[in-house]
Amino acid sequence: MTSPPLAHAGHWAVGLIYLAPVAILVVTLLVISRRDRLAEAEELRQGGGGAAANDAGGS
Amino acid sequence: MTAFIRRLALPALATLAAALVAAGPAQAHGLVGKQDLPIPKWLFAWAAFAVLVISFVGLATLWRTPRFAELREQATLRLPAFLEPLCGLIGILIFSGVIYAGFAGTDESAANVVPTSIYVIFWVGIPILSLLFGDVFRAFNPWRAVGRAAGWVMGRVAGDGPEPVAYPDRLGYWPAAAGIFGFAVLELAIPVTDRQDPSTLAVLGLIYAAVQLVGMALFGVKAWSDRGDAFGVYFGLFATLSPLRWTGRQLVRRPLLAGTATLVPAAGLVGLICVMIGSTSFDGFTASSLWTDTFAVPLQGRFVDAGFSREHANTLVFTGGLIAMTGVISALYLLGCAGMKSAITGGTDSTTELAKRFAPTLIPIALAYVVAHYFGLLSYQGQAMAYLLSDPLGDGSDYLGQADYRIDYTWISATAIYYVQVVALIAGHAAGLALAHDRALLSFSSVRTATRSQYWMLAVMVAFTSLALWLLSNSS
Repeated sequence: MTSPPLAHAGHWAVGLIYLAPVAILVVTLLVISRRDRLAEAEELRQGGGGAAANDAGGS
Repeated sequence: MTAFIRRLALPALATLAAALVAAGPAQAHGLVGKQDLPIPKWLFAWAAFAVLVISFVGLATLWRTPRFAELREQATLRLPAFLEPLCGLIGILIFSGVIYAGFAGTDESAANVVPTSIYVIFWVGIPILSLLFGDVFRAFNPWRAVGRAAGWVMGRVAGDGPEPVAYPDRLGYWPAAAGIFGFAVLELAIPVTDRQDPSTLAVLGLIYAAVQLVGMALFGVKAWSDRGDAFGVYFGLFATLSPLRWTGRQLVRRPLLAGTATLVPAAGLVGLICVMIGSTSFDGFTASSLWTDTFAVPLQGRFVDAGFSREHANTLVFTGGLIAMTGVISALYLLGCAGMKSAITGGTDSTTELAKRFAPTLIPIALAYVVAHYFGLLSYQGQAMAYLLSDPLGDGSDYLGQADYRIDYTWISATAIYYVQVVALIAGHAAGLALAHDRALLSFSSVRTATRSQYWMLAVMVAFTSLALWLLSNSS
């Protein structure tokens, strides 16, 4: 006898508490990455792109 | 300190403080069961999250030059020449004994030494020994010892024989990944009666040994042992974390994690480590009612309806689940690497190359998962070796006078085991962060880029920690 996934919503809900830190971190990172990118573009546009240019990765 | 770090550090400290403050009320509500924990289990995930974020901030501000590359090993002990062949011989004797017990001993798995030797001592015990004492398995590796002995004899009899085939770079760790995946299928997907059956395990042990001998004959003992021997590679990766390294006839000392930091990644390393983490995660997941009720039972029903026997349906569903979990772990890691790629402006490395380069940073996490999921098993079932060694065949012998020994379930409490699991998980992920940070400092041209590249590795580490703690909360 199987029961539909909705019947186990309680399990999923508890799982969300564990997922929350990841979600918070990911959202924070997305916002910060966007701001960083905008700040970098602004820096480059104003000609002071030394730091941004140095960011170029390479191994 | 960058604005990002300032922004992240404060909420992390607040989370940690909230976790500590919440300890009182939770205790007052008598949240006790088998484990007498002072706070709800989910709060451990939040505390772990806070610890990781604080570790990340600490690394970004205090660790500004690559350190592991500059660290030097120190010779501590010179070993006698006879030790290596002696250890190899002991390894061959142990392997032969296990195979013999599988065929000659009782079919009752709890009374035969084979299942506990393989699933507890070999699979769980050796990774922990590898962390503490270095690559001890390499010294006792029976098939490597046979391969080396055969090579020595061939050299004496036939002189310089044909050169082994060059081990293909593209093959890398893939044979090892396939081997570990195969073992995980045996451990998790094959019906219990078969996977615990001593004679089945003995046959599989012989097949595995034969594959290793063929591999060594084709590619040479060293090349195959370093890349293709699944268990040798598996234990060897954990041994890179150790402060001890056995090299030829010398024992050298090095800083903890230094071996992992200087590991040169090869093809298949990402796949191998994702299989390692995925199989342990899936083992934890199968203990949850979520897996049983939502996935296993409905899918088994469908396979049975399609004409499969119940056993085959079970094997198919569990193998599928193992593949899916390995896929989830791989996807999480690759997402982190894609994030890393997007965070570094102007870098020429692809996401795949970054994934390969940073793969060794997942090794402490793989070990943390092993400790977190199997420490209880090792603590209790490991004791069974006392009476199993005394009566290895289960025929009523008592060679060591311990046949009547019974497992002491009181020597460590369930609460203490849970704390060990949580500490292992947090320490493993913090070590992973440190390794990734150091590797980023080596890989990228500025501290700023290196730190920014690791934002997404932090997210990966937090995701893995939360996943592991969620799995633990379901299984215990």
